[in-house]
Amino acid sequence: MGIHDVKGTSDAALVARVLAGETDAYAGLVARYRDRLGRYAVRMLGNEADAEDALQEAFVRGYRSLARCTDPDKFGAWLFAILINRCRTIGKQRARRQQLVVQDEAAVAKASVKHPEERSALRETIEWAVEQLSPTIREAFLLKHVEELSYDEMTTITGAKTSALKMRVARARQELQRLLEEAERAGRE
Amino acid sequence: MPEESDRLEQAIRVLKEPAQIDSGLDRRVMAEIESVPVPGAWPHRFWMTLDWLKRGRPVRVSPLGGLAFTVGIAILVLFGREWMTPQEPGAPLATTAQGSVVQFVIVAPAASGVSLVGDFNDWSSAATPMRRVGGNGVWEVTVPLDAGRYRYAFLVDGSTWLRDPSAPPTLDDEFGRPGSVVTIGEL
Repeated sequence: MGIHDVKGTSDAALVARVLAGETDAYAGLVARYRDRLGRYAVRMLGNEADAEDALQEAFVRGYRSLARCTDPDKFGAWLFAILINRCRTIGKQRARRQQLVVQDEAAVAKASVKHPEERSALRETIEWAVEQLSPTIREAFLLKHVEELSYDEMTTITGAKTSALKMRVARARQELQRLLEEAERAGRE
Repeated sequence: MPEESDRLEQAIRVLKEPAQIDSGLDRRVMAEIESVPVPGAWPHRFWMTLDWLKRGRPVRVSPLGGLAFTVGIAILVLFGREWMTPQEPGAPLATTAQGSVVQFVIVAPAASGVSLVGDFNDWSSAATPMRRVGGNGVWEVTVPLDAGRYRYAFLVDGSTWLRDPSAPPTLDDEFGRPGSVVTIGEL
C-alpha cells in the first residue's frame, strides 16, 4: 500500500503501523489531518507562517509521543489537543515579541495595522475582527462554530469546563458581532 | 444592512473555508521525524498499562486486608510528614537582575537517577540531572531562571514522571503527563 493510499485505513491501524516501525505510515495521518488542523491554526494565529510552524511542531510532537496515544481511534482529537497547546504557546511568544516591539516607536509605526475602514474585502474584515478577540474566547469560538466540536469534545481537548466554554463562546459571539458592526459602520462613513 | 445573526453566520461561513497551507509541509514533517527515534512498542505497552491501571474496577478485600490497609494509612498520616523533606522545591534561593536561582527538590528513596525536565531545558532528560543529598532519598538541583512561568516535572530512572507535590499542578500538558508550574517574578 502506498503511503497516500490510506482512505480506507483507520487511524488506529495507521498508528499501529507507525509503532511497528513503519515510519512512512505517519504520512497518511499527516495528509488526513493537515487541512482541518491547518485551518484552525491559521484562524487562531492569524497568519500562515505561524500556523505552519504550529502545525509542523504538533505533527512532530505527535510522532514523538505516539506511544502515549492510548486511544489510537481518537488520534485526531489527541493531535488536536497538541496543536491547541502549540497555538497557545506560539500566541504567547508572539504577544511577548509584540510587547518588546512596542517599546520601539519606529517599529510600532511599521507594525501598525490598518484600520478596517481601509480594507475592502469582507474576508479581511472578518479576519481582523477574529484577531481582536482575546485568545481564550477566540479558541472556544473557533472550536465550536468553525470546527463544529461538541462541548464534550471541547472539554476533552482543552481541559476547560463546559460552563466556562459556553460562556467563552457566548462572549466571543457578542464581541464579534460588535466588531463586525463597527467595521461595517466605519466602511460606510 | 444585514441582521446581526446574518453577519455572524456570514463570518462563520468565511472562517470555515479551507486555509492555504504550504504543500511542502507534509514533506518537512516527514523529513524532521526521520531523525526522531521510532516510537517503540515498549513505551506504548507502558502507557497502555498505565491506562489500564487508571480505569476503575470493583475490588474485593478481606476484613483483615481492610484492617491492614487502614493501619497503613494511619501510620502514613501520623508519621508521613516527618519522612518528607521540609524544603520548599521551586522557591527562589537568590534573585538577581537577570532572574532567580531556583532550587528543586524531590524525595525518591528508591530511585537510582532523577532528572529535572521542563520548559527551561526543552524537556531534555539529559540536560539537568539531580544530585542525591544525604542518605534519605532527597534529590536536589539548582537552576538559574529568568522571570516567567515554567512547566516542569521530575523524571525518575528515565521512565517515571512525577509531579512536584509542593507546587501547583499544570492543567495544560498536551500529553497528559503529570507536571507542575513554577512562576518566577510577577507576571
